Amino acid sequence: MKRYIGRKEFLKQIGLLSLLIATDAHCFWPKNNKEERSDIRGHVFKGDAPKSPWKWSIEGFHYTTNGKDVQCGICPNRCYLTPGDRSVCRSKVNIGGKLYSLAYGNACAVHIDPIEKKPLNHFYPATDVFSIAAAGCNFRCLNCQNWEISQRKPEEIRHYELFPADVVRIAKEKNIPSIAYTYSEPTSYYEYMYDTAKLARQEGIKNVWVSNGFINREPLEDLCQYLDAGSVNLKSFEDDTYRRLNGGRLQPVLNTFKLLHEKGIWFEMITLVVPGYVDKPEMIKRMCGWILKELGPDYPLHFSRFFPRYKLNRLPATPVKTLELLRDIALQEGIHYVYLGNVPGHNGYNTYCHNCHKLLIDRRGYNIAEFNIHNGRCKFCNTPIPGRWG
Amino acid sequence: MNLANLIIISVIGTGISSIAVQIITVREFLSQFSGNEITISLVLFCWLMVSGIGSLAARFFSKKSTTLYSVIALLTALFPLIQIIAIRLFRDFIFIHGESPGLYPIFFFILTFSAPYAFLIGFILPYSLSIIKTMDTEFTVGELYISDNIGDITGGVLCSFVLVYFFSPFKIIAFSSFLLILVSLVLFIFLKRYLLFFVAFLSIALFFTFAFDKRFELSTLFHQYGVNIVSYQESPYGRIVLTKEKEEYTFWESGAPTFSAFNITAAEEKIHYPLSQLDNVDDVLLVSGGMGETLGEILKYSPRHIDYVELDPALINVASQFGILSPHAHVSIIPADGRRYITDSKKRYSAIILDLPEPDTFQVNRFYTSEFFNRIKRILEKGGVFSFSLIANPNYLSEVRVKKLSSIFNTLKKYFHNVLLIPGEEIYFLASDKTLSTDIPLKLREKSIVTSYIDGFYYGNVTKERIKFLNESINPDEFINTDFHPRVINIMFNEWFRKYGTSPNWFLAGLFGLLACYIFLIRKEEYVLFSTGFVSMGVEMLILFSFQVIYGYIYLKIGAVITSFLFGLLPGAILGSRWKNKGKGMLIGAEAGMILLLLTYLIWVNSYHSMVPEFAFLLYGFIFSLLCGLQFPVAAEMIGEEKSPAAGLFAADLVGAGAGTLAIGTLLIPLFGIQAAIIALILIKTVSGIVILKG
Repeated sequence: MKRYIGRKEFLKQIGLLSLLIATDAHCFWPKNNKEERSDIRGHVFKGDAPKSPWKWSIEGFHYTTNGKDVQCGICPNRCYLTPGDRSVCRSKVNIGGKLYSLAYGNACAVHIDPIEKKPLNHFYPATDVFSIAAAGCNFRCLNCQNWEISQRKPEEIRHYELFPADVVRIAKEKNIPSIAYTYSEPTSYYEYMYDTAKLARQEGIKNVWVSNGFINREPLEDLCQYLDAGSVNLKSFEDDTYRRLNGGRLQPVLNTFKLLHEKGIWFEMITLVVPGYVDKPEMIKRMCGWILKELGPDYPLHFSRFFPRYKLNRLPATPVKTLELLRDIALQEGIHYVYLGNVPGHNGYNTYCHNCHKLLIDRRGYNIAEFNIHNGRCKFCNTPIPGRWG
Repeated sequence: MNLANLIIISVIGTGISSIAVQIITVREFLSQFSGNEITISLVLFCWLMVSGIGSLAARFFSKKSTTLYSVIALLTALFPLIQIIAIRLFRDFIFIHGESPGLYPIFFFILTFSAPYAFLIGFILPYSLSIIKTMDTEFTVGELYISDNIGDITGGVLCSFVLVYFFSPFKIIAFSSFLLILVSLVLFIFLKRYLLFFVAFLSIALFFTFAFDKRFELSTLFHQYGVNIVSYQESPYGRIVLTKEKEEYTFWESGAPTFSAFNITAAEEKIHYPLSQLDNVDDVLLVSGGMGETLGEILKYSPRHIDYVELDPALINVASQFGILSPHAHVSIIPADGRRYITDSKKRYSAIILDLPEPDTFQVNRFYTSEFFNRIKRILEKGGVFSFSLIANPNYLSEVRVKKLSSIFNTLKKYFHNVLLIPGEEIYFLASDKTLSTDIPLKLREKSIVTSYIDGFYYGNVTKERIKFLNESINPDEFINTDFHPRVINIMFNEWFRKYGTSPNWFLAGLFGLLACYIFLIRKEEYVLFSTGFVSMGVEMLILFSFQVIYGYIYLKIGAVITSFLFGLLPGAILGSRWKNKGKGMLIGAEAGMILLLLTYLIWVNSYHSMVPEFAFLLYGFIFSLLCGLQFPVAAEMIGEEKSPAAGLFAADLVGAGAGTLAIGTLLIPLFGIQAAIIALILIKTVSGIVILKG
């Protein structure tokens, strides 16, 4: 055959076939148009679900079904899954017309951290927090430092067996006052977090939610029953940046802050200052304006220094001067407590009274050298200091 | 001078320009994307493959026009500038600013932006022969190959040893394209195409205006680095850019930020984890990473002396010029290859600290091998400490990272009684024959050394549980990483693919399928050249790999090895042209010679423990490529020029070279080691020998 079909013709056919396959697979450019290119939001994994639930599965909360297809209602992605599909966060699957969470009782990271590491500076300072994570995330942050667990399926990672009762038991045995749902995105293992938080509350242990805040109102309202504090990212005040760097949207995150405020949950906001994206003073001013209007001046705002990581490794570290500038802007705008992160030794870690401006907490890393808050009030001017002080 | 001679000169001009442009393009892509071995191989692969397709296209192109040839020649000369500008501008248009894309986007970007020029280069060579053939001359494909080689050698030597030291990429393109531009202009006059001459003249004027405008060239870098560039330099080792934002400097080496001011955490972890272990700090050796706060942290121990070894002198100069590296009586800054320095050093150190990138290239892997750790042990004082760090998530250890850490741990453990891993921002390896402590803050307090990060954050971040978990995660059965079996590189590739959630399997399967189709369709003589292209690139990679393991990465010497390969082709091609009528016997002889050389190499690798004179590598490269060069005119003669073999032969050689680059650089050496790679090359050549014998 080889000598008779004609080489020219043969090569032409091969070439055309390759071109068709490559074009169909969006091989030539990452995405087809500018609008799409600037959006890195995740997609549903078609036909990627396991055939049957595994040991660490539970029927999902907050979903709707027509008996065949399901729609997850935990986060604004609202993944519509036909049988055999897997959600954007990789933790939810449709098996036989039911939504299952595959991340229940299979924590992949378990550590004891200082509460300031979350970061939470106004929530029982200098206490420990029992930190757990399961696989998955509803975002696709290019700078994720935990990508090995957040951008993986639960079946792909090394994990422990730690069901909610085990988590609470260990925290109790070790005399740790709080449990943090952290490292990856706890919204993706909502059921595991919810059940653990419920048990923890019964045992007098506090619950800390470390999240990107991309969650729907109903599940968050439910969770708030047991939540004591949140360390929630406000990654930018521009929807475009959310879409480009994180694969998310801004508005649902803002709604989360409003709901936490409404429910009286203590929270602190964390903004990673990514050079060229999240370092514009004008945007920070707008962001502060919104915070003051909707949430008031009392919730602390943390500006963290960016270092090149994961896929976003061709940007410089944030200049410390930029962080200082943004901190000054936020304070001038009226936010009472503005902190810096990832700048060891900087006085931006300290807490100063928003009324008399005296030093309330002198932090040396996670250690406290001086603590001038008494019964939740400034020792110098008796002003109530917002937070949970014990 | 007649028209045919002008075209031959243009072939030489094309050779000069194409080699220089190839060097510049590889460097450009490395500055845009991660510089691991996969990227390097992808660039060469795309280049060679598309050139091969260009040659193949010339075979089917029937229009023989000298004017068209002149236009293509001029386009070949001018296009590289547009290519480099396009790479710089479109990078951020296609990808997100600051992002490192994964395998497939990189591949298609490289393919798209190198394809037009690579195609032209592949096309123009056989097309020039078909033009000359219309002029009733005796010029043969072998002579064309010789002319091209003369150009390649001139371009290679000029660019690697002269231009790269003095000029930026745009100027190098301008200088290296000069001959081709000139010949094109003369051709237009010769052909009396005055309108074309006029248009060409204007284009050339524009070309040189942009190529020599320093500000214009700098402005093309703004997309990547921002407008605050305070220093930009192209050293033989890569692109060095220094930016200044709000009084703070960032150093960029080949597109990646390698140093940012006030990175206290990294400086303290790197220095105090090892040095706090010592009762007395005498001489300290720091290999790379001495910018900013680092040396200041070492000086807190009042050491007798610090030797700071940095590969690139240009980096040291820029850092010194801007005060990022300050002179100190107790610090010597030594521009040298770290491994070479350690091999040659007679001095003994109480601490040796490596601050190098991850071992994802052959160049860096040699700092994480058994042989290297043995040398470290030799120059480390009894009870001294050796340290370095690797990237891993302190919250979770994936399987691939456990493999990486375990392999390096086991390799290190061969030479040190105690190896301790500390889960800091990165995983720090400490190795010593004396006991190592995990309570670094306590050690620092005992020495009255004050730190910002360790004092305040260590106990919270580096908890006893985390240390225990990390050290217990090590798999004692994981393999040892050696110079000639660098399997850690393969782990690094896996880590890279996992990061992007991609697998190279589809790419490799598709490629293999296409190659199989190609081999299925070509003539047996073309297959011989395909295998020769494959083996010659493979051997060049093996030689470069071995050379830098033994002698270090010294730019001039590496350049000399590459040049020895280029130089060998020319006498090979001349001899081949002279003996072209000896046909099959000649091809078989060359095949046998190559197999013999590969066997010699295999024997040397297996019994390697002694140094081989540098000259041996140069001679080896020269002889090997001489045999490769020899085959080209002979194969051409065997097929017969009436069948228009030039395009097919050039294509076979180029496609083979592309496949060889990818197979040896990214698959065979990292997966199976250097011995297996040599055996694979021997097999390929044996098959081609059988094909000739049977034919």
